[in-house]
This record gives sequence, structure tokens and C-alpha cells, in this order.
Amino acid sequence: MVMEQEAARVSELPGGPLAVSTAGLTKRFGDRTVVDDVALAIPAGSVCGFVGPNGAGKTTTIRMLLGLVRPTAGSGTILGGSLAEPATYLPKVGALIESPAFYPQLSGRENLKALARLGRLPLTAVDPVLERSGLLARAGDRYRSYSLGMKQRLGIAAAMLGGPELLILDEPNNGLDPAGIVEMRGLIKSFADDGITVLVSSHLIAEIEQICDFIVMIRAGRLVHQGSVAELRASQQAEFVIAPEHDADRDQLAGLLRQAGYAVTRGQAEEALFVEAPGVGAADLNRFAARNGITVRQLAERTRSLERAFFALTGTTSADVLDGQEMGAIR
Amino acid sequence: MIWAAFASEWTKLRRPTLFFSTFLGLAAAASLFVILLFSQARAAGGIVTLHQLAQPDGLVVGVVRAATLLGVVAFGIAAAQVASEYSLGTLRQLLVRQPRRAVLLAGKMLGVITFLLLALCFAAVVALLVAVAAAHGRGVPTSAWFTGTGFADLFRELGDLAIATIGYSVLGMALGQFVRSAVFAVIIGFAWLLAVENILMRIVPGTHYWLPGASILAVASGGAEGVNYGRGLLVGAVYVVVAIAAATAVFVRSDVTA
Repeated sequence: MVMEQEAARVSELPGGPLAVSTAGLTKRFGDRTVVDDVALAIPAGSVCGFVGPNGAGKTTTIRMLLGLVRPTAGSGTILGGSLAEPATYLPKVGALIESPAFYPQLSGRENLKALARLGRLPLTAVDPVLERSGLLARAGDRYRSYSLGMKQRLGIAAAMLGGPELLILDEPNNGLDPAGIVEMRGLIKSFADDGITVLVSSHLIAEIEQICDFIVMIRAGRLVHQGSVAELRASQQAEFVIAPEHDADRDQLAGLLRQAGYAVTRGQAEEALFVEAPGVGAADLNRFAARNGITVRQLAERTRSLERAFFALTGTTSADVLDGQEMGAIR
Repeated sequence: MIWAAFASEWTKLRRPTLFFSTFLGLAAAASLFVILLFSQARAAGGIVTLHQLAQPDGLVVGVVRAATLLGVVAFGIAAAQVASEYSLGTLRQLLVRQPRRAVLLAGKMLGVITFLLLALCFAAVVALLVAVAAAHGRGVPTSAWFTGTGFADLFRELGDLAIATIGYSVLGMALGQFVRSAVFAVIIGFAWLLAVENILMRIVPGTHYWLPGASILAVASGGAEGVNYGRGLLVGAVYVVVAIAAATAVFVRSDVTA
């Protein structure tokens, strides 16, 4: 009953109808809680990024939304259908779950025909999605001969079968080269232009930042943030990059700024300092440095990236989640 | 809805490598038994006599002798078709398109069973043609084969083989569903049918009445030593029903994490 009430509350959130809403969504495997009391509220028509560190529970959450994994607790509504009855909404959902999986010895087209037949879709629906994903020319080739990028595109084509209202894409950029990533970005934007709600999980926060207008962040199975990307950016404090004229003054300037109550970190190049100074302008910082006899060579305000917002919201550092990988990539 | 799952399964089953290897493999196995039987037949004694081969059921006796091999092959193919959905990861695609799992499993089972029955029919036709040629080669009179009694024996025994094939297929698919690995399922199935049951029957008296492989083989053979046809049919049917129920229960309730 409490769950139902919470589900109703989420569905009544302002800002239009929700494509996905859940309340108390929980999944335990034995003693291990993988997804813990997650309440999603994803607006219809949005491109929603779903991010979180490795093992955060993204894929398990997606599997619950798709009826592949049974929730231990919680309820939800997807496109108006109850999460407890996937058959009521899955005909309107397309999905690419983790890596694309098809029959290796069938052609791309035959693989899609098998899925179309299963979903009672006309076989004429196959070629248009192959064309849209850029695979029509190779549709007659066996799946096992496809490159990683082509397999990914076939996965997208399969998800597009039947004209879904909600697309759930789990790591769609996996295996794509830079050109493929740009193509995928365009494809996802075109889905949004068609009015399709897209839920895309990715470990590339920079990529999510470019294509999504809504974001859901989870960590250790718990929801840490959801909301529009614009709101998240606006809520982040401005940060200044400041570099003294003489490198020898850098440590003194850092110390003075810290004494003044500002958070200071060193830049990667080490000649610059990053200063979080809420309610302060660049001119104030310039005056502060001059008053202490330090001439500033560089002073600029920069908006914090989504990636830094993620680290701030989840209380992690890049080292916690990146495990030695390049900045901007979390799993 | 079952028809949609059935049609989808057939799109996969008719891929040339599986289709031709199954159809030609079963035909070759059945034909090999026929050739061996006719080549080994003697005027008296041996595994079969020339006189026995000239009887109305002589046309089909070679195919029936191949029942164990045909059944094991059917079992392996059926197990692999279900288990490979897990190992390939294709099951999640299928379940997004058809979330009613019992319907998906029913369509898949029907697809695999019809595929194997067609392969059996093809194998039987080829083996029967081989039998006619072999009979001419060994000078076995075939006039009794093409009489009313001969055709009745032919269809009855092929019908029994078809029932046995359904049994082997269902047990194979159920095992594939439980172990979720094509290789593991085939190894377990083959070991059970070809070795474990034989050992059990030798060391534990009376077990042949209750073993699934022995029961289904009795059906395929029209009755076997120790297990008559009716008992084999009853026990085999119980195993098939239990296997379907258990596979469905597991499939419907389990999380798909592959």
C-alpha cells in the first residue's frame, strides 16, 4: 500500500507525464542488495542518461524494467503499464541490453525477422530499421561476420522494430569507433526528435552530457540524483581557474585562499589552481590576490562538468570509480 | 501467440548448417543401421536372419534398430536449441519481444519437436529407400513389405519412433533449460542415456521399469526386453509431463541474467 502511494506520488510529479516511474524498487540476490529502494521518475519524451559506477545496479535496474529480473520489492509504471505485468507495456518498448546478442549463423535481416515474427510484427518492418541504423547494405551477411560496431547497430535496429515509445539502450557506444559514437549520438537525437523516450545507460559521462536532457545517477544500488541536466548544471557552484604570474607564488596564493575559506585544488598542469568560491566574482579574486601582493596571470570562471557533479553527488573521486581509466569514463 | 513463437523458432531452426546437418545426419545414421543390418543378416542365427528381413516389418526394422542413436541425436539437438539461448544471450531479446514466458517456451518446444519430427521423417524415407536397395543386393524378397500388413507395420513403427522422438526432444529441452549450457546439457544427456541407465539397470534390479531412457526406448522399439510397450508409454509420458511442468516453472520464475 505504501509502495502504491509512493508510486502515485512519483507519477504526479510536475513537468508532464512520466514514461517510467518506480517506487521502492529493490533487488536482492541472496544477502546482497543490488538495487535498493530506487524511485525513478523519467519524463516522457526525454533522453535520460542513466549513470553510475561499476556495479552500481544500472543493468539490474534495466533488467527489472524489462521484466527479465523479478524485483524483490517495489512497484512501478512504464508507459502506463504495471511493472508487475511486463506484457502490458513491452510491446511499446525497444531495448538493447548490454552487448547485442543474435544468432551468429543467421544474417542480420533473418535475425530481425525472427524477432519480428515473435513480436507479431509485419516483416516489412525489418528493412526500414536496418536502413535507419545504416546496415541495409550488409543485412544479408551473417551476423558472425559483422564488426563490433555493426553488431551494435543491429542491436539498435532490433530495438527500433515495431516503432517503440520507449527505447532502453544499455551502453550503446560499446565497441564503436569515434565516428560510430558520433553517428550513435545523431541516431539517439533523432529518436528524441521522433518523440521517443530514450533511457540510455553509459559509462561515458561526457557522452551523456551531450545527448541527454535528463539524468539519473545511482551508486551502490541507491538513487543519488535525478533531474534535468540543465538544473543539475545550474545547481553546481562556479569554479575559478587562477594562475599567478610567478610559479613561486602559487603555494602562497593557495594557502591564502584556503585561509579565506575557499576550497582549492591543483590543476593537472600544476601551474593553475582551481578555486570553489561561492558568491564571489572573478574581480573579487583578482583583488584578493593583488591585495596580498600576487599578480595574476590567468583568471577564468568555468562551469563544472556533469562528471564533476557526479563525483560531488556520489561522494566519490575519479580514482574511486575510474580504476585507472581515463577521466570521464565510469562504469 | 504460440504460433508467433513457433514461427520465430523456425526462422532460427532452418538455418542451413543446422537444417542440413540434422536432416542429413539422422538420415545417414538410420541408413547406416539399415546397411549394417542387411550386410550382417544370415540365413540362420546372427542379429537378424534374411527370413526375418523378408517379413512385412522388414522394411522398417533397420530404422527401428537405430532408435537409440536417433533418440540421442534428437535429445542433443533439442537440449542445445534451448541452452544456446542462454549462452548466446539471445533469450533476453526474445523475452522483450514475448514476455509471456510460458508462451515463448511452448512455441519453442513445438518448433523444435516439429523440426526433429520432420528430420526423422526424412531419415526414415532415405533409410527405407536404402533398405529396398539393400534387400535387392542381398536377395531378400520384398513382396511382403508392400502389403497391407507391411504398410500397417511401417506406419505403426514409424509412429512409435515419432512418439519416442517427442519424448527425447522434451527431455532434452528440459535439461537444456535447467543447465543453461548447450555443451553441458549434451554431455549430461548422452552420458545418462548411453551409460548411466545401462549401469543402473545392471546393478539395481528392476530399475529398467522406471528409467526415462529405457521407457522411451521401449516405445520406439514397440516394446523391449523387460519393459513392454504400454508400460514404456505410461512411464515415458509421466517423465515428459513432469519435464514440461518443471521446465515451465523454472523458466517462468527464474531471473534472466545471461
